[in-house]
Amino acid sequence: MENKIKALVIDDEKLARDIVKTYLTKHPSVELAGECTNGFDAIKMINELSPDLIFLDIQMPKLTGFEMLEILENPPVIIFTTAFDQYAIKAFEVNATDYLLKPFSEERFAEAILRATKQIENKNDNTKQIDGLLKHIENRDEYLERVVVKIGQKISIIPVNDIKYIEAQDDYVMIYSDNGNFLKQKTMKYFEQNLDPAAFLRIHRSYIVNINNIKQIELFEKESYFALMNDGKKLPVSKSGYQELKLIFDK
Amino acid sequence: MGNPFIKNFKIFTVYLLIWVFISLVHNAVIVFLLDVKLEQAFTESIVYNTLYFLLGISLWYTVSYNTLENYTPVKIFINHSAAAIITSAIWVLAGYYILINIFNDDKIYKSYLFNSGIWRFMIGIFFYAICVAVDYVIIYYHNFQQKLFRESELNALVKEAELKSLKYQINPHFIFNSLNSISSLTLSNPDKAREMTIKLSSFLRSTLSKNEKQKSKLSEEIANAKLYLDIEKVRFADKFEFVEELDPACKELEIPSMILQPLLENAIKHGVYESLDKVAINLKCKPEKEYLKIIVENNFDPEAVPRKGEGIGIKNIQNRMKLIYNQDNLVTVEKLNSLFRVNIYIPR
Repeated sequence: MENKIKALVIDDEKLARDIVKTYLTKHPSVELAGECTNGFDAIKMINELSPDLIFLDIQMPKLTGFEMLEILENPPVIIFTTAFDQYAIKAFEVNATDYLLKPFSEERFAEAILRATKQIENKNDNTKQIDGLLKHIENRDEYLERVVVKIGQKISIIPVNDIKYIEAQDDYVMIYSDNGNFLKQKTMKYFEQNLDPAAFLRIHRSYIVNINNIKQIELFEKESYFALMNDGKKLPVSKSGYQELKLIFDK
Repeated sequence: MGNPFIKNFKIFTVYLLIWVFISLVHNAVIVFLLDVKLEQAFTESIVYNTLYFLLGISLWYTVSYNTLENYTPVKIFINHSAAAIITSAIWVLAGYYILINIFNDDKIYKSYLFNSGIWRFMIGIFFYAICVAVDYVIIYYHNFQQKLFRESELNALVKEAELKSLKYQINPHFIFNSLNSISSLTLSNPDKAREMTIKLSSFLRSTLSKNEKQKSKLSEEIANAKLYLDIEKVRFADKFEFVEELDPACKELEIPSMILQPLLENAIKHGVYESLDKVAINLKCKPEKEYLKIIVENNFDPEAVPRKGEGIGIKNIQNRMKLIYNQDNLVTVEKLNSLFRVNIYIPR
């Protein structure tokens, strides 16, 4: 092979990075392009160096490995390295190039490198794989706690409690939060399913609102209502949305 | 505890039936032994026994305020003697005036009523003693049951905490990451790898052995927590700094086991895992009034968005402390800008 594979190691623990680096010395076809300790730096580095392969830990400060994947546009081939995450492991089994459970052996590492090399040589498009992986992760029985968005080069993390409401915009949604509005490529259905129903309600085909942010429900005309938000904005409420709102407010 | 003679239907019914029985006996005794006319005997027994039936219910209140928790036995005895005399006097006189007014014309009955006053008074004292005795039995039975209930609840919670601590402290994430560090160290620094293996083993061993015990010495708990921190230190090198301030007077004091380490783990999880900068973790133990005060504080990145699990560990500790000491507010949490502080008060 003429070109070496450019690899990046992303892990917040130095010793964990060290062992990957040490194992890598036995694989001259792979060149270590860099290492980083958190998701923010990783995204910057991936954009700068455009590596062919990344070793990615999941639990990291700032951005988790998965949140990173969500906002990467052209993700490289990924080998996950993780200690323990039952959901993730299931997801990997179906979708990831490969995953290494810490601690892992040199032989297992070599296998992963082999697989990744094949994938890089065949220039397989792995966007589908990653989409599948993220879909799988979405099915956790936990609600979202934060949403990661990227606008230009800027990455923002929005705690779900700061979300005022979400508006459908074609293939995107616009998230209105205390810290500004953010466009995200996700469906309304995704948010409807993954936000805590105790706090968020889909009041209309195009709107999911944070219930705590509703000031009052007002009658617009006969059998037609809108929700007055704390910031003064008025959002339409559908019939079924009104029924559900009534249930919540009557409690 | 509310008055069981009012609140508990079963007790009320039994109590009522007993008084019906006493009335019948009363009736029979005065008709057959004292030759009182049936009509008068019937009225008399109804009047006197209804009166005591009501008095007896209210005696509950004198009993529930005269418990051994509130007063000395001597004081209780004096209180009850006084109450017995007053209650009986009221009873005898009240009954007397009611009956006198009903049977105003019957001189024989009136003189019988007057002469029997002293006997009625004695019976009043006797009733008083019985009522009070029954009330005490009810109170202590109730307390006893509550204690049993609390104990079983505590046991269940300790069991759960044990299981959780096995799951948490021997948190798989922590274990596998530590093992990965060891695996890495075997290549770069075998001596350190061995040291970490030993520390990890000691930590696991002491965690496993502590489960049955409910309390252990503060110094032991600190030693165990430090083992944990040492292991995390190997993983996170300079990402945190641990400072302890231990008043020597506290060393031998006992604290519930498995309280300190989870708190420090909490500090690591929410401070160190989520922060890019160095985190300072402080542990302070000092006597404060009748408590041993333990403070665990760590700074955290205020911009880090909280993840799941925050607060569950602390909630658990709060529950356990409440059950062990039967006291609220022994665990308080303060969140100031970028400082997170947990205060624990352990009664001595």
